[in-house]
Formats: sequence, structure tokens, C-alpha cells
Amino acid sequence: MIQLYNVYKSYNNTPALVDVSFIIKKGAFVFVTGPSGAGKSTLLKLLYRWERYDRGQVLVNGINVGKLKFNKLWQLRRHIGVIFQDYKLLPGKTILENVAFALEIVGAEKKIIRYKAWEALKDVGLSHRKDAYPLELSGGEQQRVAIARALVNNPKILLADEPTGNLDPEMASEILHLFEKANQEGTTVVFATHSQNILREGDHAVITLKRGKVADTRIVA
Amino acid sequence: MRILKTTFINIKSNKQLFFASVGTITIALSILGLFLFVYVNLNSVLSFWNEQVQLIVYLDDEISNSEKRRLEKLFSSNPEIVSFDFVSREKAWDKFQSMFSEKSSFLKGMGFNPLPASYNLKIKPSPERLNTIQTLARKLNRQTSVESVEYGEEWISRFETFMILMRVFLFALGALLCLGSVLIISNTVKLSVLSRKNEIELMLLTGATPGFIRFPFYLEGIFHGVLGAVVSLSLMKGIHLYLVSRFQGSIETFGRGMDFQFISLPFIMIILLASILMGWLGSYLSLQQFLGTYKKL
Ligand SMILES: Nc1ncnc2c1ncn2[C@@H]1O[C@H](COP(=O)(O)OP(=O)(O)O)[C@@H](O)[C@H]1O
Ligand SMILES: [Mg+2]
Repeated sequence: MIQLYNVYKSYNNTPALVDVSFIIKKGAFVFVTGPSGAGKSTLLKLLYRWERYDRGQVLVNGINVGKLKFNKLWQLRRHIGVIFQDYKLLPGKTILENVAFALEIVGAEKKIIRYKAWEALKDVGLSHRKDAYPLELSGGEQQRVAIARALVNNPKILLADEPTGNLDPEMASEILHLFEKANQEGTTVVFATHSQNILREGDHAVITLKRGKVADTRIVA
Repeated sequence: MRILKTTFINIKSNKQLFFASVGTITIALSILGLFLFVYVNLNSVLSFWNEQVQLIVYLDDEISNSEKRRLEKLFSSNPEIVSFDFVSREKAWDKFQSMFSEKSSFLKGMGFNPLPASYNLKIKPSPERLNTIQTLARKLNRQTSVESVEYGEEWISRFETFMILMRVFLFALGALLCLGSVLIISNTVKLSVLSRKNEIELMLLTGATPGFIRFPFYLEGIFHGVLGAVVSLSLMKGIHLYLVSRFQGSIETFGRGMDFQFISLPFIMIILLASILMGWLGSYLSLQQFLGTYKKL
């Protein structure tokens, strides 16, 4: 599903990723870990082509990411759900509208948008708060909305960049379980975190980055 | 529907800017309209005069019939002269009197006719008409029984030069105002784009097509342009109606040169089309700039 071969990426001549190679198979759940500044976020950004890389090859869902033109990026990104530490919810919309927005963007049929958005909220246990605004919710709840939004289009890949970074441990493991649930339903999950607790809690493959290099891999399924 | 709503929300969240933008476009187009109005009217005056271009040969009062025949032969043998027309002293006097009908009793009281008889010559239109007329005038002035020769061509020629300058000026002014309008729209849309940065980033992340992202902003720019055009066209029409009602009585004399024909359907279509184009271009420029930053990443 995801293949990297000798990928090199630098910011202003400072290397952020150096000769990174690995393969993540379809349906896998993989942690990406390493200390702050190791290149975890950069690695994820390459996968949904938010950043370009300088050398090497990146294949995601059969698409050669390096060759994709700006106007065609949506073809890659429609198969990827991305989740951030800061949730990136739109504060002016209710949480139902936030989830529905992801459906509108890909041109889903109007009739099914409301229902599908509501279902996605139900899957993360927030359907009873559908008319609340993001800032009326706790951090954990907001992250659940973000997950509902990422999953509502049934992406093949779920990328999460420190999704539990702002949450207390209980909330964090709740969020982790949501990712595991999505993984069991067939979604390939790449979960970046520097938290050892999360790594210990989930028994998954781990890619460890140190100063932009793959320092260790633990059985990548 | 969603798109219309987005566009409307964009505008509402930037109300002052929206009015400033539409207002500027209105002013720009109105200035253009004003100059076009002046131009069209001067032009119609010019073409009216152009058709009237003639050489008037005033005759001595005691001209004999044989002299007249000699002159007429001279006229008809000249290929530059299309036609000629004799105006006797009596005819000239009648015409003069009818032009000042309300004072005709006073004129009748004068008891004598001060006007000379004349020949009005129509000259073949050609680019060198001015030269032709000048040489012809000189030649005819030397003839016996010719009192004087008059023509307005020189003045008209100057007027023509003025009209060419006017055309260049109009074109430059139009281009400048259009450019200004495009930049203003572009600026307004840019602020609207920036205020929705998060939403646009989310769209990019979620896999919206570029068209989907751009369309509401195109619509916003076009809306600004068209609204400006509509307001300015209404303004022009309003001024027209005011002038017509105000000068109804004297419209015959005053309104002769006044031609509002330029507010015609094709003119309206052109202005609307131009405003759509300007709105689109303004939005395009700001989107190109904004999305360009994501392209580079
Ligand atoms: N936009 C950027 N411009 C310049 N340098 C950057 C940028 N993003 C990340 N970096 C640098 O790249 C390296 C890796 O950063 P990042 O991928 O964010 O690490 P992590 O997510 O593991 O903390 C760091 O040294 C960071 O300073
Ligand atoms: Mg990071």
C-alpha cells in the first residue's frame, strides 16, 4: 500500500529525511516514532504530498507520488484520511457540518451526506452532540470528530500525526482504539507518536526515526 | 447551491470591502461611460458635419446669367465636385427669416435683403479632400463675379485629429480603469481567500478538485464586477432619463447633438461581459497566487 525507496528530503539544505526505505502492506497498522524533530511529520507529509521530496521514490496506493501534478493531487488525497494534533476542525460549523464538509468536498450525493455524517459521528460515539460546535467539546471529543471526518469517505489509508499529543492518557487510549477499530475494518493506519505509552499499549509494527534516518523497524506487517 | 451560499457568506464577512470594491468598479465604469458618451456624441456631430462638407461660393449681387452659366460649366467639368446647387438671394433670405421666425416681423421691416446669392458645392469625399478644397477655393476666388469662398473643412480636419487623440485617450483610460478594477477585485478576493485559509487547506487535504475550491471565489469576483456594471449602467440610464425630462422642451435644439444611443443592447452586453471577465481575472490572479504557495510545498 505504501512503499518508500531511498527517500531523501531536506528543508533549506538541512536534511529532514535521509535514505528512508520501507514497505507498509495493505491493512497494516504501523507506528512511526522517534524523538521530536526526527522527521515523523515530514514523513507523513510526503505520503499525502503536502511536501515534495528531493530524491527517491514514494508509491502510495499505486500512485507515484513524486510524479503527481498539483491539479491531480486530489486523486491521491481522496484515498487518504489525515488527522492532526490540533484537530483542524472549522469552528464556525457544527460537528455534524464539519463531518459533512468532507463529503461535500468529494461531491457526495446531497441526499446521503447528512445520514453518512451522522453515522460517522455515531461510530465515534458523538451522534448525540451533533449540533454542538467544536469549541464546546473537550479535546478528546474534538479529536473523535476529526477521526469521524477522516473516516467518513472510507479512505484506504489513515495517517495520524501525533493525534493524542494534546490528550490525557485515558483519552489517548480511547483514540487509539478508534484507530484500531478502523484498522480492523480494513483501513491501513500509519500512526506517528513519540509517546512510549501509546507504543506499549498497541501491539503493532514500529518504524523508529532518528535524525531523519530509519533507526529501527519492528516487524512491518 | 452550496457554492452560492459560500459566495454569499464570503461577501457578508467582508461587507465594507465588498462595498468598496463594487463602488470602485462602479465609478471606473461610469467614468468610462461618461467619456464614451462624450466621444459618441462628438463623433456623431462630426459625421453630421462631414456629410455637410461643402464649399460655398458667394456671388456678386450684379452677376449676369451668362456669368452664372460659365461658372456652372466650370463646376460640372470639375471631377472633384459631386453636385452643386444655386441659392438665390431670395431663397437665402427666406431661409434666414425662417430660422429666426419669432423675429421675422422685425426682419421683414428691414425692407431690403442683405444676403448674397451663392452656389453650394458638394465635394467628393476622399482623404485628400482638404487639399482639393483649398486649391479649388483659391481657384474659384480668382474668378470674376465671385465675391468670396467659404469652407469649414480646415476646422473639421482639426476636429478629426482631436477625435483620434480622444480615441487613444479613451482606450488608455479604459485599459487603466479596467486594470484598476481587476486589481481591486483581486485584492478583495484575496482577503476573502485568506480569511478562509483553514477551510481551503482542509479542502486540499480532503481531496477537493482545484475547480471545486476555485469556483466560489470566481463567482465572488464575477459578482463584484457585474454588480458594479449594473449600478453604473443604471446610473447612466438615470442621468439620461433626467436629462430628457429636464430638457424636454428644448430637446430639439439642445438634444440634437445628445445621443444616448450608446446605452444600447450591444453596449450593455459588452459592459457586462467585460465586468464578468474582470471579475474572473481578479479572482484568478489572487487564487493563482494563493494556491501557488501550496504548489511549491
Ligand atoms: N517547514 C519546515 N521548514 C524548515 N524545516 C522544517 C520544516 N518542517 C520541519 N522542519 C525540520 O525538519 C526536521 C524534522 O521535522 P518534523 O518532521 O516536524 O519532525 P517530528 O515530526 O518528528 O517532530 C526538524 O529538524 C525540523 O526543524
Ligand atoms: Mg511532528
